[in-house]
Amino acid sequence: MKPASFDYAVPRTVAEAVQALGDTDRTAQVLAGGQSLILEMHLQRIRPQLVVDINRIPELDGMRVDGDELRVGALVRHATFESADAVPGPLGTLLSRAVVNIAHPPIRSRGTMAGSFGWAHPASEWCAIGVALDATVEVTGPDGARSIPARDYFLGPYRTARRPQELITAVRLPLLGENTGVGFIEHRRTHFCFAQVAVAAALTVTDGVISDARIGLVNSADRPLRARAAEQALIGADFAPLPEGPRLPDDHPFARAGRAAAQEDAAPLAEPYADVEYKRQAIAVLVGRTLTEAATDLRSRLAPRQGGPR
Amino acid sequence: MERWTRREDERLLTGKGRYVADIHVPGCLDAAFVRSKVAHGSLRSVDCAAARDVPGVVGAWSAADLPDLPPVPYTLLARLSTEEAVAGREWPALVKDRVRYPGEALAVVLGEDRYRAEDGAAEVTAVVDPLPAVVTPSAALDDSVRLFDGLSNTALRGEAGAPIDPAVWQDAAAVVEATYRQQLLMPSPMECRTILAVPEGDRLTVWSGHQMPHRLRRELAALLGWSADRIRVVVPDTGGAFGSKSAAFPEFVVVAYLAVTLGRPVRWIEDRLESMLVATRGRGQDQTVRLAADAEGRLLAYELTINADVGAYPHLGVGLPMQTAWMAPGAYTTPHVHATLRSVLTNTMVTYPYRGAGRPEAAIAIERTMDLLARRLGVDPIELRRRNFIPPDAFPYDTPTGRRYDSGNYAAALDLALETVGYTEWRAEQARRRSDPDALPLGIGVSCYVERSGGEPGGLHEFGSLEVHEDGTVTARCGAAPSGQGHETVFPALVAKTLGIPEAQVRLVEGDTDEQPEGLGSFASRSAQVDGAMFQQTAGLLIEQARERAARLWDLPVDKVAWADGSVHTTSGDSAVLGLAELVKATGPLRVESRYEAGMAFPFGAHVAVTEVDPDLGTVNVLRLVAVDDCGVVLNPTVVHGQAYGSAVQGIGQALYEGMTFDADGVPHLASGFLDYLLPTYTEIPPIEIKDTCTPSPSTPLGAKGAGESGCIGTPAAIVNAVADALRIADPDLLQMPLTPDSVWRAARAPKHEEGVR
Repeated sequence: MKPASFDYAVPRTVAEAVQALGDTDRTAQVLAGGQSLILEMHLQRIRPQLVVDINRIPELDGMRVDGDELRVGALVRHATFESADAVPGPLGTLLSRAVVNIAHPPIRSRGTMAGSFGWAHPASEWCAIGVALDATVEVTGPDGARSIPARDYFLGPYRTARRPQELITAVRLPLLGENTGVGFIEHRRTHFCFAQVAVAAALTVTDGVISDARIGLVNSADRPLRARAAEQALIGADFAPLPEGPRLPDDHPFARAGRAAAQEDAAPLAEPYADVEYKRQAIAVLVGRTLTEAATDLRSRLAPRQGGPR
Repeated sequence: MERWTRREDERLLTGKGRYVADIHVPGCLDAAFVRSKVAHGSLRSVDCAAARDVPGVVGAWSAADLPDLPPVPYTLLARLSTEEAVAGREWPALVKDRVRYPGEALAVVLGEDRYRAEDGAAEVTAVVDPLPAVVTPSAALDDSVRLFDGLSNTALRGEAGAPIDPAVWQDAAAVVEATYRQQLLMPSPMECRTILAVPEGDRLTVWSGHQMPHRLRRELAALLGWSADRIRVVVPDTGGAFGSKSAAFPEFVVVAYLAVTLGRPVRWIEDRLESMLVATRGRGQDQTVRLAADAEGRLLAYELTINADVGAYPHLGVGLPMQTAWMAPGAYTTPHVHATLRSVLTNTMVTYPYRGAGRPEAAIAIERTMDLLARRLGVDPIELRRRNFIPPDAFPYDTPTGRRYDSGNYAAALDLALETVGYTEWRAEQARRRSDPDALPLGIGVSCYVERSGGEPGGLHEFGSLEVHEDGTVTARCGAAPSGQGHETVFPALVAKTLGIPEAQVRLVEGDTDEQPEGLGSFASRSAQVDGAMFQQTAGLLIEQARERAARLWDLPVDKVAWADGSVHTTSGDSAVLGLAELVKATGPLRVESRYEAGMAFPFGAHVAVTEVDPDLGTVNVLRLVAVDDCGVVLNPTVVHGQAYGSAVQGIGQALYEGMTFDADGVPHLASGFLDYLLPTYTEIPPIEIKDTCTPSPSTPLGAKGAGESGCIGTPAAIVNAVADALRIADPDLLQMPLTPDSVWRAARAPKHEEGVR
């Protein structure tokens, strides 16, 4: 479990990093938190000839609200999002609910959101949120900077629209309004391992009707997935009361959306201990539960303003 | 020292432990092995030439380059295996012509460090023609694919007890049958295997994290053709073993051979990825059971049939299923018990003892089947057990399988476990939930186990000594070799208590064959039971010698000299008193050697699990686990309870998480290490309560039985039974460990037992 030999570059600016990545004679990898890269190098599944360590590029650090978007620099660590107050509004709540599912605290203090987008693991929490919310990936390469919408960015497991000579400089996420409720639920065998399935949801209600629904599916295809059929099943529906008990009746809109996500949106791949049939079951259940969580979140968000009971 | 629970903790918990990888020997070479990517195949060629050109590589060899490389020594220890099982099935230390398990070593590369060695290993090329692989005993049983040409895959057949008259089944009021898979498990110690071989003059010093240093010395001497006194084996701090570190493994053979051949220090520090592929496996049995009872729920007969997964070579694991057969009856008075087994070779790394070693397989089989029978009879599983327990006055108890249980009070352990968990209250909660359609199903499972500790006849003894120094301190030596069990705390305390001196005055030395010429080691939960009794006896011998010396010194009959609080004094009441230090100064060095033979002991206990199941996802949430263990006289409750806790967690691992799947070519899905093979982590550990009852073992004056394997043996069936109870599952075959969410979800959709008919 030792990496093969490699060269190591430590650029101080984005321009220097792009220059280092532009060396087409050597296969290069960008090192930010090293959450996945270091393991893969130890396992020798990745044998880069050049590692470009971007940790000393100040302009890549930091996060800011820019208009109606959150811009997350490439060196912002997962742990930043552990507090719901780190990001304004329901987006902060969503990110804080998702982040606790990423690895464990020591890794969250190193790994980065942009790194997750770069690695593009189908079980990545951030990537599914990204496609659900229409995030944008900012990259800079020899030909300058460009922005890639998340829907065009993920091409398959570990495959993205980023060109090898391009560096991800930031990820932009749209902020969510106060009439949006969010939920994130992950299902896995132990706290240590990847999600078998996870679901991110954001429900927006206008005048008692679901006006927008965003559902991201984790590890439900060969890439992060937005459950558009499930979303369509919800939009226009009344924001109805939740059932008394924890279980959704089969005819509840959330249950219907769950089935749509599992049957129409998802394209699950079989894994040990989770075949396609089981994954579809888990997707249906989790979508229903995550929408319930989002609805509960929205009610608690609206309740103080309306002054009524929750 | 008061800050630490155990003497060794200050060292081990502050990073001052010294493990094999911490030992720096100038000029030492690191070994890296080139490993087969296929599970089964014919080796055509290995080319090491390119590896030899890699900077920092000192040498690279395949089996063809080392014609004198000895094979891996077989172990017939404790008659668990037979000459017939191993005949014609040699295990080469490097593959000669046939790969039989994935990861089997094709070549070795020595480098100036591990990085260089791995760079070299990456340059070795090998041609292997794949053969069909068989990775389960049922697949290997028909010999359509043979691991050894001309020889059956079935390496051993065994039985315990007598065949059961068919009339017993026909006349029984209830007969239940089931099939269980005891999955392959990985022992997963924190520190993987290690060996450092240092040639010095005509001797070889071997450092290894090992459970049986004297056996390693004996086996290395035999394979090198040396006398044993030319080899010194030292066991430094060792990061866990769980049964998996007691052999001379193929890599050990290669390292020792090359160190001697080259005259240079060589080490192999196994990394986690290697360990995933080629560390010994535990368990691995396909079982079928049949249990009969009369209308009152009295057990009539029990039949257990085992197809055991032995792995690619018939090592120690080939006989391990006999342990399951012998322990088949469990805690019950079943008059007829018959266990039969076949040990079957498969294209997996060898099966070997793993914490529990044959007893979990027996306990899980009978305890799951007891619950099945209780459901069939419509009686409470607790009541069924009570009706059939071997009563306390029936010991020593001879089982139909040839075991003689030494002592027990099974009902007492069960009573304490039920009281501790709050059995009645949980049953009421279960009833409440069953009437609430929105409540998650809740189940309660019990498991009453009996196990065996100490070892098998021929391996129940241990060697040791006590030596008094001129300053009055005592050095205790024994053949045990700890891998985290706390010997440095427990044994000096025991010796000090017996002698009546302060604990700090006693120091333990173990795990060094130059310090302790003979020894067996630490396995089968034997150290407290056997070494503890040995030290108690040796301390008694020391006291006798001290009295005799004082009697000569004072010119008194021995019976006029008494011992108290670490000193000899006269019984006449005069003021003559000699402490140990003065006695040694006056009479010369005092050292007492001892060999002590214990009897087998049979620890037991009752574990109760309460689980909640999410039937829509199949997740199992353990709400509560109570483990009541009886290991006789407890020498140190903190140490014993700590081991019981860790063992219970490993039991949870077998029940819910640990297991491996294979691809179509027989290679296990373990390439991402512990992301593929899931151990329970801190987050998964439920509230666990450990308690004990005390039924001393009559086998030694000390009365201690083995501790530490209890949870691996007792816990899994409690959890599986709790899940079956929650879901009211009719078909026991639907629940096979590990109870992964997908399998539990499927089981939850199956007919319930009220509706189900078998």
